[in-house]
Amino acid sequence: MPADYAETPFASGYEFTEGSGYDLPEYPFEAPPEIASGEVSHHPIVIVGAGLAGLTMACSLARYGVPAVLLDEDNTVGAKGASSRGICYTQRSLEIFERLGVYDRIAAKGIQWSVGRTFAGADEIYSFDLRQQSNYNLSSQPPFINIQQFYIEGYLVERLAELGRVQLRWKNRVTGFRQDGECATLTVATPAGEYRMRADHVIDATGAHSPLRGWVGASVTAKKGDDRWCIADVRFSRRPPVERHTWIEAPFNDNRAVWQHLMADNVWRIDYQMAPDSDPVAVSRESVVRERLARQFGADCEVEIVWVGPYAYRSECIDRMRHGRVFFMGDAAKVVSPFGARGGNTGVSDADNLAWKLAAVMKGRADPALLDSYHQERHEAALQNVQVTNRTSSFLRPQPGPQKLFRDAVIGLARQHAFARPLVNTGRMAIANPYTRSSACDRTGGQPVQNVGFGWADGSMGTVNDLLAWAEGRLLLLVFGDTSAQALQRLAAVTQTMPVRAVQVVGTEDAPMAVEHVLDPKGHLQGACHVFGHAWALVRPDSYVAATGESIDTTLVHSIGRALGLQDETARPPADVHGPRVGAEPPSFEAPREEAA
Amino acid sequence: MMKTNFHFQDGDAFYEQLLQAHEGLTREQSELLNARLIILLANQVGDARVLKECIEAAGRL
Repeated sequence: MPADYAETPFASGYEFTEGSGYDLPEYPFEAPPEIASGEVSHHPIVIVGAGLAGLTMACSLARYGVPAVLLDEDNTVGAKGASSRGICYTQRSLEIFERLGVYDRIAAKGIQWSVGRTFAGADEIYSFDLRQQSNYNLSSQPPFINIQQFYIEGYLVERLAELGRVQLRWKNRVTGFRQDGECATLTVATPAGEYRMRADHVIDATGAHSPLRGWVGASVTAKKGDDRWCIADVRFSRRPPVERHTWIEAPFNDNRAVWQHLMADNVWRIDYQMAPDSDPVAVSRESVVRERLARQFGADCEVEIVWVGPYAYRSECIDRMRHGRVFFMGDAAKVVSPFGARGGNTGVSDADNLAWKLAAVMKGRADPALLDSYHQERHEAALQNVQVTNRTSSFLRPQPGPQKLFRDAVIGLARQHAFARPLVNTGRMAIANPYTRSSACDRTGGQPVQNVGFGWADGSMGTVNDLLAWAEGRLLLLVFGDTSAQALQRLAAVTQTMPVRAVQVVGTEDAPMAVEHVLDPKGHLQGACHVFGHAWALVRPDSYVAATGESIDTTLVHSIGRALGLQDETARPPADVHGPRVGAEPPSFEAPREEAA
Repeated sequence: MMKTNFHFQDGDAFYEQLLQAHEGLTREQSELLNARLIILLANQVGDARVLKECIEAAGRL
């Protein structure tokens, strides 16, 4: 990183400004050293695209202490034209942002909401309050925060400058790519001229119009819809309630759908579904948008239009998320309609999934084969997200005939019977997708772990994220309940020879025996790890359970090996795993399962 | 498993009620009634596998 980079004043110059649009920050272009030297540089990791996924990836790598170069063709966050793009961030994303150190700023700037109401015509037919849903209650983060995407991106840019390790190069546009057995080579165009760089790994986070898809010959499964929407970000003189409102059939929008959400700076996003054949220019003309807003909010409600844009919704999913040295993430990997906030949020999880794996491989803690599990896990997630959003699309834009008939039937029944209300599909909110066919997860694993609280040994409060930080990119082994002296010995052998940190979790009945132990009197930590009674849970740096089990035995050793990409039966870590302890034998236990911990 | 044996308490009465429910309806009203009925009945069944088998069986025209 150039010496003066950290001194660049990252002023909060992108506050909402009166009048139209957002005033986005502009970051300085600096001529890359390759241009002056004329040399082709070599980097272990190059990330292309400093959007939400690329910045999350860069920040995660920096936190693991892994160097990378991040290229962006623009010199600002958000998109030119000042759209805010994503607005709704899930608990899972917020937990990830907490690990990266930007959550507090997001929480301070964003809007928390939990009540959603769905209307058809003039009637409310369905409502929910996420605070009443117990599965959201235990995390240290709320169910959702709404905030303009560029704020999060801006916070990540500033966080990257604090963390160091990652060079962020603005106005660096990748114009060419090739890869072979030795490395990938990127051609990059800048205002100061063109240069080339080599990379061991390339992350494509360039978004929905990824040029890398074509360069590597990636195949894409796509579904083109005829659903057209016009999105208006507005401010009002009279503010609507702090709730998400959805109309399936809005009388003020020719009986088509309307969305109404809030975000930071008192800006509201109103999404209007348009007729399938509508002209994008005509529907987003300011006078037309104002007329639409007046029909919804009353002619006397003063409206300030911040931003307007037409969208054609569609879905696309790349068939392989890894092509040689290139990993696809975020919108470069899959594009979905915005229903359920499954775009940006899954991009954040893509980055969180790949970052720890790349870091573990670079540090010699894991086998390079672990990187194949990125495709297995995140492609499963991508397919699920595409399927879930496509189901919502069919409900919200039914084709004439049977599709419309069954929607009418569901809406009619939902007015009369509670059972039919959950069939009303206005979007299923993004979740942390489970992994059921990953080579790195045991069949007992693959589940996300919420950022719940527990007590440190001294009685102060901690969270799962604190434990992950303590593990510093290693696997985290939580051993629940009483532990025998023999089991502790075996545990010590595991932690001394493999990149794992272990901690005993004691409830009210158990005796703390391990040196490292934490208190879980309410069983929240145990519940978050999806285990009961005497058990262990192997938690990955991305807060997923890799495997669970009962006794400290060979099953555990195999699970650790599997979580690190070692497929071989002896689960032998790579020779350089242990640093100075090169050559140490991994522990081998013959203890039968009954001789439990 | 989808039942393929006769399971009605009174099949003839059900059939008669079904026809009566459609009497005097336009084609569109009839279609809507059928759609509502399918969803009401599907909720009585609930079981995902049985529903899937029923949809497949109905589709074998």
